[in-house]
Amino acid sequence: MIDNFSLGLTHGLLLLVAWRLIFRADVDRETAPKPDEKPGGWADQRPPDA
Amino acid sequence: MRDLAFVGFLVAVLLLGFRRPFIFVLAYVYIDVVSPQRLSYFLLNSIPISLIFFALALVSWLMVDDKAESRIAPRQGLILALLLYCWGTTGNADFPVEAAEKWDWVWKALVFALFLPLTLRTRVRFESLGLFLVLSAASIIIVGGIKTLASGGGYGVLNLMATTNTGLYESSTVSTVAIAIIPLILYLMRYGTIFPPDWRVKTFCFALCFACLLIPIGTEARTGLVCIAALGPLMLRHNKRRFLYLAIVGALGLASLPFLPSSFTSRMDTITEYKADSSASTRVAVWKWTLDYVDLHPFGGGFDAYRGNSIRYEAVKNETAGGQTEATTTLIVDKSRAYHSSYFEMLGEQGWPGLILWLMIHGIGIFRMEILRRRYERRSDPNVVWIGKLADALQQGHIIYLVGSLFVGMAFQPFVYMLVGMQIGLDTYASRRAKEARFRPMRQPIVDIATPKSFS
Repeated sequence: MIDNFSLGLTHGLLLLVAWRLIFRADVDRETAPKPDEKPGGWADQRPPDA
Repeated sequence: MRDLAFVGFLVAVLLLGFRRPFIFVLAYVYIDVVSPQRLSYFLLNSIPISLIFFALALVSWLMVDDKAESRIAPRQGLILALLLYCWGTTGNADFPVEAAEKWDWVWKALVFALFLPLTLRTRVRFESLGLFLVLSAASIIIVGGIKTLASGGGYGVLNLMATTNTGLYESSTVSTVAIAIIPLILYLMRYGTIFPPDWRVKTFCFALCFACLLIPIGTEARTGLVCIAALGPLMLRHNKRRFLYLAIVGALGLASLPFLPSSFTSRMDTITEYKADSSASTRVAVWKWTLDYVDLHPFGGGFDAYRGNSIRYEAVKNETAGGQTEATTTLIVDKSRAYHSSYFEMLGEQGWPGLILWLMIHGIGIFRMEILRRRYERRSDPNVVWIGKLADALQQGHIIYLVGSLFVGMAFQPFVYMLVGMQIGLDTYASRRAKEARFRPMRQPIVDIATPKSFS
């Protein structure tokens, strides 16, 4: 009883995850990230009016 | 009946996989953790389902998936080096037959850890992998949790569905893994997009965390208690309301004491009386033997080299009678005792080079997650905040595994190598996304420079 409850619950949720992935286009491709608000790395060293 | 349900589940996942090939990777993770073939009486136990799904995952990645975004991390090089090194020691093992048996599953775990990061290219993939790992482990943990509540459990008594003592069905391993995934469960509860946070998700996640905490009580594995002790300060580290957290934990701890079975409390008492406890004394004796062994064999004895040990030690037991304490010493002779520690397992089986590689793989993982956590700590963009939070959860789980590893021989536990693969994937993903965000079209700065300040 306990075994079947646990297996049923978790397997149902696993199946639901897989099912929801079908409708998510961002599984395979994401949009490009927003550009950083302020430059990082070497660009950070530039004077502001450059 | 259960067999048919498993077959139905796998067929459904297989069909969905043809729509989204990444589901094949998730299905392999599920099969490796739950081992449905071990829970089934007929049908599945005659089909190599694990091999079929791995082949599907690999072929679909090779044929369909976008590989331009996949990156190779230095840690994958270390895993490959460890794989080749273990292959070498297996060929020269002290016990060739037993070593070949262990090699048979170890190489699969390492190859999958090499492959997994290549497929993790988007946030949803990390999340779905996290969900599959947690829910697969949950199928065992929920059983253990409910049975502990119902019966109190007991060392070697708690029935976790399968009769085997391998994978997550081994009591000390499941105790460590159950505690190690708590930070990941909490991450999925707060930052989930497949199951966005609502009252149902929160109820399930808190109940699952509770079941995870019950596993060390149900299995009476002392390692689990040590892991819970390690989890406390880790959770406290980034908690804004520390005093409230401490008060809740303290109250829960005190409230749970009367409910703990007496066999649990008496077994936990033996943590401080290790000299009288034959299991703990044996460990110390085996660890001494391992150190002597690697003096003679610095490159290790191959898998299962512990089978060659023969140990003698004196167990000291203090007995108090009439106000006087008397110490009695018994000589215990034993042989072929397992390492009971992943560190000594690596040292004895793979020698110093193997232990160093292993420590590097895990140490660099914790270090890299710390870097990611700090990098994204103060970011406000919800599209990247999750990276720091996931890094934090993976780091905490990893530290708990390394603490549990002090007393359990699980150096090649496949579940942990999936977490390691997830870490490597997160690291390369974060680097790639940061680089993409830094990128500016060539045109943009030229326009900026060409436009005089007074006109702008």
